[in-house]
Amino acid sequence: MADPASTPLGKMLLEEITPVVMVLCTPYVEESCLKNGLSLIQLLSPFCDFTNIDVPVRTASDQPYRLRKFKLRLFYSSDIRQPNLEVAKERLKKVITHVGEKNFLESSDPSQVNNLLSRPESEMLPSWFQFFNKELVRTLSFSDHEAFDHPVACLLVVSSKDDEPVNRFVDLFNTNKLPSLLNDGAMDPKIMKHYLLLHDNQDGPFNKATKLLADMRNAFGQNDCQIICFNSSQDGKIHHQDNPWAPFKSDALPTENLGGFLNLDDLNEIKDFMQELSSKHIIPYMEQKIRVLNQQVSATRKGFRNQIKNLWWRKGKEDTIDTPNGPVYTFNSIESQIRILGDYAFMLGDYELALSNYRLISTDYKLDKAWKRYAGVQEMMGLTYFLLDQSRKDAEYCMENAFNTYLKLGSAGRRNTTRCGLWWAEMLKTRDQLKEAATVYFRICGEDTLHSAVMLEQASFCYLLSKPPMLHKYGFHLVLSGDHYKKCDQIKHAIRTYRSAIPVYKGTTWSLIKDHVHFHIGQWYALLGMYDVAVTHMLEVLASTHQSKTTQELFLRDFLQIVQKTGKTFEVLKLQLPVINISSLKVIFEDQRTNASAAAARVKESLWRSLEEDIIPSSTARSNWLELQSKIMPRKYKESNICVAGEALKVDIEFKNPLQIPISVSSVSLMCELCANPEEDANSSNNEVQNNEDRTSTSSGDINSCLILSEVDFSLEGGETTVVQLTVTPRIEGILKIVGVKWKLSSAVVGLCNFEFNPVNRVVRGRRKQHSPSSDLKFLVIKSLPRLQGFIHSLPEKTYAGDLRPLVLELSNQSKSPVKNLKMKISNPRFLYAGNQKELNADFPACLKKKMNVEKSGRHANVNKTLQNLYHFPEDISVQEETSLSWPLWFHAAVPGNIPLYITIYYEMEGVSSIMKYRTLRMHYNLQVLPSLDVSFQLSTRPSRSQEFLLRMDVVNKTSSECFQVHQLSSVGQQWEISLLQPVDSILPSQSLFAGQSLSCFFMLKDRRRSSTSEDSIPSLSHIQSDVRLGPQDNSEAFFDVSSSPLADFHDCERSSRGMSSQGCEYKVDFVFITQLLKGNSDSSSNTPLVFSHHACDCSPSSMSPISWLVDGPRTIQHNFSAPPCEVNLKMTITNSSDAIASVHINTFDSPSSNNQLINDATTSQPPEHQSGWSEIPIVNDTKIITTEALTTRVPKSLSLESVPQFIWSGTSSTKLVLQPRSTAEIPLQICVFTPGIYDLSNYILNWNLTPVNDGENQGEANKSSGVCQGYPYYLSVLESNFKD
Amino acid sequence: MTSTACFIIVSRNDIPIYEAEVGSAAKREDAAQLHQFVLHAALDIVQDLAWTTSAMFLKAIDRFNDLVVSVYVTAGHTRFMLLHDSRNEDGIKSFFQEVHELYIKILLNPLYLPGSRITSSHFDTKVRALARKYL
Repeated sequence: MADPASTPLGKMLLEEITPVVMVLCTPYVEESCLKNGLSLIQLLSPFCDFTNIDVPVRTASDQPYRLRKFKLRLFYSSDIRQPNLEVAKERLKKVITHVGEKNFLESSDPSQVNNLLSRPESEMLPSWFQFFNKELVRTLSFSDHEAFDHPVACLLVVSSKDDEPVNRFVDLFNTNKLPSLLNDGAMDPKIMKHYLLLHDNQDGPFNKATKLLADMRNAFGQNDCQIICFNSSQDGKIHHQDNPWAPFKSDALPTENLGGFLNLDDLNEIKDFMQELSSKHIIPYMEQKIRVLNQQVSATRKGFRNQIKNLWWRKGKEDTIDTPNGPVYTFNSIESQIRILGDYAFMLGDYELALSNYRLISTDYKLDKAWKRYAGVQEMMGLTYFLLDQSRKDAEYCMENAFNTYLKLGSAGRRNTTRCGLWWAEMLKTRDQLKEAATVYFRICGEDTLHSAVMLEQASFCYLLSKPPMLHKYGFHLVLSGDHYKKCDQIKHAIRTYRSAIPVYKGTTWSLIKDHVHFHIGQWYALLGMYDVAVTHMLEVLASTHQSKTTQELFLRDFLQIVQKTGKTFEVLKLQLPVINISSLKVIFEDQRTNASAAAARVKESLWRSLEEDIIPSSTARSNWLELQSKIMPRKYKESNICVAGEALKVDIEFKNPLQIPISVSSVSLMCELCANPEEDANSSNNEVQNNEDRTSTSSGDINSCLILSEVDFSLEGGETTVVQLTVTPRIEGILKIVGVKWKLSSAVVGLCNFEFNPVNRVVRGRRKQHSPSSDLKFLVIKSLPRLQGFIHSLPEKTYAGDLRPLVLELSNQSKSPVKNLKMKISNPRFLYAGNQKELNADFPACLKKKMNVEKSGRHANVNKTLQNLYHFPEDISVQEETSLSWPLWFHAAVPGNIPLYITIYYEMEGVSSIMKYRTLRMHYNLQVLPSLDVSFQLSTRPSRSQEFLLRMDVVNKTSSECFQVHQLSSVGQQWEISLLQPVDSILPSQSLFAGQSLSCFFMLKDRRRSSTSEDSIPSLSHIQSDVRLGPQDNSEAFFDVSSSPLADFHDCERSSRGMSSQGCEYKVDFVFITQLLKGNSDSSSNTPLVFSHHACDCSPSSMSPISWLVDGPRTIQHNFSAPPCEVNLKMTITNSSDAIASVHINTFDSPSSNNQLINDATTSQPPEHQSGWSEIPIVNDTKIITTEALTTRVPKSLSLESVPQFIWSGTSSTKLVLQPRSTAEIPLQICVFTPGIYDLSNYILNWNLTPVNDGENQGEANKSSGVCQGYPYYLSVLESNFKD
Repeated sequence: MTSTACFIIVSRNDIPIYEAEVGSAAKREDAAQLHQFVLHAALDIVQDLAWTTSAMFLKAIDRFNDLVVSVYVTAGHTRFMLLHDSRNEDGIKSFFQEVHELYIKILLNPLYLPGSRITSSHFDTKVRALARKYL
């Protein structure tokens, strides 16, 4: 370790614990000195510090040593007293305030912790700490329990101007004028005296002075008198290069010329005098005194006998002393003598001697319970140990002991505690125990908050300087210190400390801490009136979501107050309130694509693109159509988006309130730049001007400018999120750029958000892939174009499935030029398609009904268009300027559910713009279709007649309130004849289906083509019975014509949507079931009844299993069961109706449970598509084709549980056979019955497997290549026939 | 008797991932941030001490006036810090150990990203129950 004396603490000690010289002088002396702007002590002080004195010193030991450094402290006699506490405090406060002002102005924020640490240590540590500490220590000088502040010598100074200087000397050292400490016995009044005659050369010749000196020498002794002549310079213009007095006169003005009358000779004279005083008088005097005292101490206290005696004596004295400060020791008590001895030895650098005496006295004080003195001695011991650099532990122990003892004294020892702590901390710092030093600083903090603040700040620097730096602690102590500063109204210091803490807490997620720091800095700056800075700090805490509601309110209120005080509207770039979700940013603009409604704009672009693929010209759809224009358009605008002048660009953006308190946001608008097209003005500077103008105009939001911006006001509740649509409408051609958004918070602060800064996750509905985010928000504004507006009148939002109605599409053209070449595409032709113009005013529903003269011409025209979903308006149709066009549409709610409808209308403009030839209008509607009637058909063959079928129709009204009036059932196509098996009146007398009601009807279906070949007599050709009236029979109302538009078209759509070819198969029938909903129930738009049509496609018996069978045999048997078991012979006829070879496998089971099990396995393990008849059901929603097979699989579960089999299948349990296509085979079966009863012989399974004859022939059936069928119920009654025998 | 107890889980990146005032003393606004300050400052000490011992429970490592900071460091250097004014070291140790188990369960959740904030309300109720039991 370095020499303890050269450490900061060592230097401090050598400076502070030095002999004190009391100075007594006459007013004339002061007067002469003040000519130089200095007092006597100030004049002498610079020459009291001897760094290289080199005096031999011999103290108690015989071995002399040389003293190199020495210092004297000079005090006026009036200052030798304990300083006034209040004055001292005031002075310290002034020091701090002064520093605060100074540092505040020049402070610069270290933004990073690394920067903070990279600076050199000396720079990091504010220099004023040293100064402050010194001042603090000085407030404790001349305390009565320590001896090193006792004056060692007295310097009496008399001016030669005084009359009778010798008498003046005597007067000066008058006991009445001496400090009280000397008089009341705390200090030794018998001190060395030195007499100095000061001669001012300006006052007169030197001769008089020398004469006076001779007198003095006679009176006071030869050696103790001296003379100094000064003020030799006459004009007072001498300028000293490095002014030696500057450190001693802190309040000197810089203009003041200190020591102006002192020339070099004067200085040398003073210097010599001081050196002589110390080396020839003071040091020898101290040596002398040490030796005397040492002898005295040795005589009374050293040695075994003395120690015993001392102990005994002290013990006896114990109970008498009870004063709080312990006994009062006068200067001549042996304890004080020892202390003086120790202090003198310390001051002369004989630390060993000092230590031994301190040790000696400390036990005494301890025994006497003189705690303050004890602590003082302990403190000195600690310092001595430190300077001896021997035992660190001892030094620390002593300091801690002293510290704690002072602490125990309470308020009396408070300041001593501070001093002791300071020295202790310095000691630890010297030894690089910075962490411990910080703890000590922390412990120093007491009642005096201002001092505590400084101590805490020093502690924080200790943490910062420790290795490794303890930044968390650093920050914390800075904040604590700042709080203390704030309590003492040292706001500038408080701000400074907090600001130094910011780098520590920068980017931290310890949110409460961050908020606390920023909020308080903001508040304090506001107190100082620096609102601008305050606002920046307050901004940091605005969006503090984690804080409680009251705190958030407080933050916001304070923020707004501060903003108000600034008296101007702030524009804040990063205002966090409300939070803008940049990723939610959505720009809706219309180039050649226009939207009829906001709903249409929200639909995904890809959906529209696929819809529009074949209606927009292919060259523009595929490649960049702008390339055609590349000659007239600069390259850099190729990638920018296009918008049309006069048409609004919409920007959807999400605002979120992160707080729990409501906030109000007003004047939300976009920030845009619009500059005229560079093509138009060749002069670039001109363009620049234009640009600037536009900028200003956008900010003012003037209507007359070339941009119209919408403004939105809204307020957000706590935690609320809202999407705001902002619009900008350019009015002239040029380049439009959306820069950002701005808003006003609580009508005080303007927040700006620049979109450019956040180029991530932008959802922009742009054309194709966007290359750079900036181009997303850049638009080429082109000349205004016609824009069609479209609307479908009376399109219901909510309807029942099957609803069929005409609608009117209205297209209006607001512009000055016509559009033509209209095309329309509808995403879902099952629901909507375009009709003929002549249908526009047709009477509904009468127009659907069969006319007398049946014409089929309209149908074929429609077939093509429905197939492509594309409708070309006739060539001659155009929408003229400022007119509108109405066009009929047919609507049919095909299936229930939420149905999105997308309609896109293509149109071309003529000669308006070279850039845009055509536009599209996109319309989007959402329909809610409720289930109405559940219609299912079941077709079964009559085994006897292959051309006749039995049709069962099940209708269930699924609605909750509506009442449907059944009207008719029609089969589509000409080849089927349909007739009722029983009159409707018998099943449904009211002809109405009420809510929840179900209806089953049976019809006979005849294949007319076959029947006409065999028996053509019955049906008359003129009356084709493909429709059956289910309504009132007497009604002469015509049938709805299912073979003409629009019913036929919708039917085709149904077919195609179900993946069926439009051509009916031989055995397949399509049905249309038509009902009417009478008015007055729900919709009241018109009086005409609503027509509902339900379509069922491809009902056929052949859609069942290709294998059918029939079990034939006796139904009732009488048997005598006393005889051998009853055998019953049965016959199974299996028919293969398919075109493939079928191998059939019949398994019989005796136990119904195993049978059941197997069936369940079969149904669950096999995917449904392997079972014919099942495949269509999940897809078709409105009708269910329940085949017989599907029914049978349900049956056994209920049956088999009831019947207990008392029979077994005899013969083989498994039979296998191969059936040729379209062939029939018979298999004999036999069962054995043991008891009479009724038996259900359904416990068998048919496994069938198709092997197609020709692979390529029938692909549709290929997947139904195998299946499992459960046996039919077949009931056999076996009766006991005993009596017959 | 009212006691102060503030429990914080700090991830290895010094980010608090769970905070709870579990003391019975009435909650005060300024106390919450003081607690954060004290705990945050104690991180320095934890940094020093954590590598000097193999025990996870570091006992009381720091104090501010009458508030004591006890710390438990998991193997992944996640720190459980408890600011308290009671002297029940055994209870605190048990508390930490049980919270450690809960924390491990949180870590086992495949949807939990280590080092992210613990938002599980189940965890919260469990921790509070443990605090009532042991502290």
